[in-house]
Parts: sequence; structure tokens; C-alpha cells
Amino acid sequence: MADHFSGPRALADPVSDIADLYAFPHPERAGCLVLVLDVFPFAAASARFSDAIDYRIRLRPVQAAAVGVDTALAVGEPEYIFHCTFSAPRDGEGSDQLWQEGTCLAPTGEAVSFQVNDESGGQASGLRVFAGVRLDPFFICVPRVQKMLGAGQFEFPEHAVNTIDGRNVLSIVIEADVATVVGPNTGPLMAVVAETVTRGGIGVRLERMGRPEIKNFILGPNAHDTVNRDIELRDLYNDEDAFKLAPHYLGAYRARLDANLTFYDGLDGKPDWRPSEGGNHPLTELLLADFLVVDVSKPYHEASFFEIERAMLQGVPHETCGGRSLNDDVIDTLLTVMVNGGKGPRISDGLDHATVTASRVFPYLAPPRSDPR
Amino acid sequence: MWCPSPARAGWAIRGEPPTTDGRIALKNLQAQIASLEVRAARGGLSAVSRAGLIELIALRGQVLGLIADYERAEALAERWALDERTDSLAFLARARMRATFHRFTDALADLARAEALGLGREVLDHERAGILQAVGRSDEATELLQEALARRTSFETLGALAGLYAERGELARAEHLFTESRECYRRVSPFPLALLDVRRGQMWLEHGDLRRARAWFDAACCRVPCLAPAQGHLAEVEAAMGEPEVAIARLRPLAISSDDPAYAGQLARILGEIGRVAEARRWRSLAAARYEELAARYPAAFAEHAAEFWLAVGDDPSRALDLG
Repeated sequence: MADHFSGPRALADPVSDIADLYAFPHPERAGCLVLVLDVFPFAAASARFSDAIDYRIRLRPVQAAAVGVDTALAVGEPEYIFHCTFSAPRDGEGSDQLWQEGTCLAPTGEAVSFQVNDESGGQASGLRVFAGVRLDPFFICVPRVQKMLGAGQFEFPEHAVNTIDGRNVLSIVIEADVATVVGPNTGPLMAVVAETVTRGGIGVRLERMGRPEIKNFILGPNAHDTVNRDIELRDLYNDEDAFKLAPHYLGAYRARLDANLTFYDGLDGKPDWRPSEGGNHPLTELLLADFLVVDVSKPYHEASFFEIERAMLQGVPHETCGGRSLNDDVIDTLLTVMVNGGKGPRISDGLDHATVTASRVFPYLAPPRSDPR
Repeated sequence: MWCPSPARAGWAIRGEPPTTDGRIALKNLQAQIASLEVRAARGGLSAVSRAGLIELIALRGQVLGLIADYERAEALAERWALDERTDSLAFLARARMRATFHRFTDALADLARAEALGLGREVLDHERAGILQAVGRSDEATELLQEALARRTSFETLGALAGLYAERGELARAEHLFTESRECYRRVSPFPLALLDVRRGQMWLEHGDLRRARAWFDAACCRVPCLAPAQGHLAEVEAAMGEPEVAIARLRPLAISSDDPAYAGQLARILGEIGRVAEARRWRSLAAARYEELAARYPAAFAEHAAEFWLAVGDDPSRALDLG
């Protein structure tokens, strides 16, 4: 799963569990950015958002601080945050349905209200928001990926099956006119992170997500980590500010990422990534800068995930918007980057798209199944 | 399913840990269970998800006062441990459910098996402490939990220790730990916090402070309006404070929706005390039939409760002697 069930705390409280984050230019309107935050994996059609959580998406300008083998990203100021909060259910609305309202507070301070599951969403100047249960657009054959990353198996006699097929998810979709809502001189490169944070009081960060599968594929597995094998790092990682990691556990994260990335690099029998002078895997620091990188000035593209970062690693200009679209095959991209650095054949989990793909029309994600598989 | 409206949203109360509205949380819990059961029927559950399903069904049983849910969770755990002889999580799940039905010796054996299969000490110590407390070995339970606390502060450990000291009558120490546990809470699920408040209220109820007990049961009900143990104890306090009609109004829907005879028995007692004999008799009969059934099926867990019923509102001491 992209970030589905990404740590012990998430398992106990699925309404705070971030399943996925997407950021992509509007397919039809230049200068408009679409942000999608999915939570509560495997949600039923009756699922509702927590009224105790601030579901938020943070954006900051970002640029390359270095390219090539020491690629590094530098996140700047200011920060732009979309806060989405939800009401307690309305009283007396029937035994089965819980009506819920939501509010999205844009970085400008403008608020948009909407009814959960109303496909038309809510609108204000330069802003449109939907929230509700939708079909999860993510696709992955988990058994195949487990065999690939666990045992280096790349040939499979059986047909690949999407583990997420037919599942629902709670989704927040935001269309934002960049100049109006974020700022006229913003970008073009933006770093995007999603978080679930408790409302009121101190505001405890429950989970965060940038790129897909960082926690599940790269930070979670501990078998190859010779330094901190016994530590469950994902909840510690979730506690951190993606734009400013604290020094306390950086060494542990680095050791885990180095160990796993080095192992994955050797799965095809030949290492493709040359370690840095310090012995770190070249992807470690880049992946620790755990946010999506999207170019808001480029047109929409359905296969652009990690293209900006790969261009930086090669020391060449990027060509696409990067970010992550709803139908992007991020699993194949990640597998290929980790196993052969993009220098060999594309490594695939056998799936190139979901059974029901997302559309190019708001709210983009397909309607939910009433009886999830 | 009966569910009263909340007096106010838990998180909106100043200084309170914010948690999801109880109605949303319950709805989502129901949906989670339904989804996992569909996947289980198709054979598509990982060990972690299987353990999660059992835990969620047991939680629903605790929230709604449904013994049928405990039975379902127990059946799933028993089958899992039989099917997967090398899965430590299966034996942990079965240990928990066996402990729920007071099969403590079997539960401890399952924990030993889980340990031999590699389950971590932190989880095992927690479960062992709960069982040791239940069989009256509170000193050993305290030691296990104090060691766990020295390794890592957690809501669960602080709450478990608070319950231990409450049972030992060390109220000041228990109060301090209840408060610490609450302050340590970092999730938005309302259930653990509401159940902690119920335990705290129980402590004060057992020591005769009805005002304090009421405050904590009330707090639990604000967070999770359907929480059966909170509603049941609140009714107990209301009756004791001279508000029998309020208690009856609270208990009647609970006695209908729950299959735990304690609520029907409690209702029968209060009705009888205010002279509504015919109605009391009806609820007494319902409770009696259910106690007979449960005491026969799960003597370790229910014989004592059934005997208490027969000695009091059940008004048949000979039945109580039979169960002894």
C-alpha cells in the first residue's frame, strides 16, 4: 500500500491513517493545482472523517540545492497550508446515515464549506473542494512486491491481482488556482506533504506522508538493518516535521534506508547505485526529504512521479510536472529506481493501472463501492 | 442500535484530549469489522489484520455490552490458534479471549507459547499483568507493570497500573496514574479514553464517592454515548443518589440492546425498589434466563455474577448455592 497501514498507531486508528497523497497540475486548466489526500484505507461506504483531526496539506517552494550523486533539495519559505476539518455528525438524521459537513481553510484564510459525499463539493474564489468516500485509485500486487523485495523473485507464473481492487477510501480533493490561493509568485517547484494532526490544544501529528511507500517499503522492513533492528521507526518518523527533521533519530533513519536500499539494489544480481563518500546510498538523503515535488508550471502528465528527482540525480533539467497523478504507476517506478536505478528493464509488479481508473474531471476519483470486496 | 445523543463533543471541552465523536467512531468501527470479515471469508487476511479483527470485535462487545461479540472473537481466536501453530499473534489473540472468559490458566499457557514463538516482552508482560491481577496476584502484576513503565511510558501501562492501585484501595496513587495516563493519550479514538474514565469512576463508586464516580461516568458518556459500562454504572449512581426514574430511563434501552444480563438485572432491582413489581418481574425473568445460559456455558466467567444475581434481585439463594 502507498502508505496504507503505515505503522502501529495507524492500525489502531484508521481514521488518522493516510493512505495516499497526490499532487498534479489540473488536466485542463493551466495554473491550477490538484491535491488529493486519501485516508482510512479499506473504508466502508458509511465511513466518516474524524471531527478531532485537522487533515492538512502543506506546500512550500523547493529547489535543487545540489544535483548528481549528492542530489539534495532545499525547502524555502513561506509555507502554504490547506486545513480540512469536519463536524460531528448532525443529530436526528436517521439510524444509518451520518451527515457530516466539512470546511477547507485555504492559505489565504478563505474558507470553503461542503457536505461530505456531495460530488459537487464546495467552491470559493480559485478553490474547489470535495470530501467523501471514493474508490481507492491505488493499485499494487502486494504478494508480488513482497516476493520481489524479499527474495529477488522477478518471474511470476500467476496473473497479477490488485490487492486494493474494489476498496474504498476517504478522500479530500482540492483544486486550487495557484496564483489566487497560494500566491502569484509561487513555484514553479513546490514540495507537498500531507498530515493528520489532532485539533485543539497542542496539535499532535498523528501521521504524515510525502512520497508513496517510503514507510512501508523502505523504512519499515528491519531484517537488513544491523544498527536498530528492534526499533519500530515508523511512528517516530510520523511524529516528525517533514520539512525539518530533528537530529535525534536521523542516524537511525539513515541506517535503515541505507540497509534496505542497498539490499534492493542488489536484487537483480548487480549493484547500480554507487555509495557516496560517506558510504550512504545516493537515494537516502533524497528520500528522507520526504515530500512530493511538483512543477506547477508544467502541463498534466500521468507518468511523471519522481521524474524531477531522477533528472536531478542525472544532472539534467526535468521535463514533466513530476508530482503524482491518480493513475501513475508509482510502484513500478519505485521498484525500477531501487533495483536498477533506471538503467535496466522496467521492474513491474504486473499491474499498470487500477481496474477502475480515476477520471480527469472533478472529483476525479471514482464513486465508491457500496459493498467493498 | 440504540445510541443516545451526546451532551457535548468531547474534544470541545476545554483542556480535554480531542477524540473523534463517539457516533462516528462507532460507525467506523462497525464498518471496519464488516470489511475485515468480508476479507476473512475470502481468505485474504494477514496475521496482523486477523489479530485486528478479533480485537475490534471484542472492543465492540465491550462498547455495546454484547457478549455475543466476545463469543465471536473467542471462536475466531480459537480457530486461528488451531490453524496456525507457529504464529505468535494467534496465541496472543487466543490468550486475550481466554482471559476474557476467565480461563486464566489456559491464557497463561498461550502467552508462554506466544513467547516461545518470539512475541515481544512488552506485549506479553501487559497481558500477563492483567491475568495476574485477575487471579489475585496483584504484587506480581504491579511489578511487571512497573518494569514496563520504567522501559517506556505509555497510556496503556499507566492506565493498567492505575486500575491495579484502584483495586488495592490506594486511591491517591491510582488517581495520579489515571491523570498521567489521560495526559499521555495521543490518539483520536474515543474508546480507550472513555474506558479509562469508566475504570476511574468504578474506583470512586466502589469507595462510596458517588459524586466523583458520576463525573467520570458522565465524561465517558460524553465521549462515547453508547458505551454500555458507562451507561450502566451511571444508572447505578443515579439510583443510589435517589434518581430511580432517571436510572430506569437510562437502563431500559440498554437492557434491550445488550445481551449482558447485568443490565436487565439492575433494571429489575431498581424497579422493584420503587414498587413497580410487575415490570421488575419481567426484567428479572429475562436476566434469570440469560444468567442460566451463560453460567452453564462459561462457568468460570459467569457463575459468580449469576450467584450474586440469585442472592439479590433473583431472590433464589438455592440457585446461588448450586452455582457455588
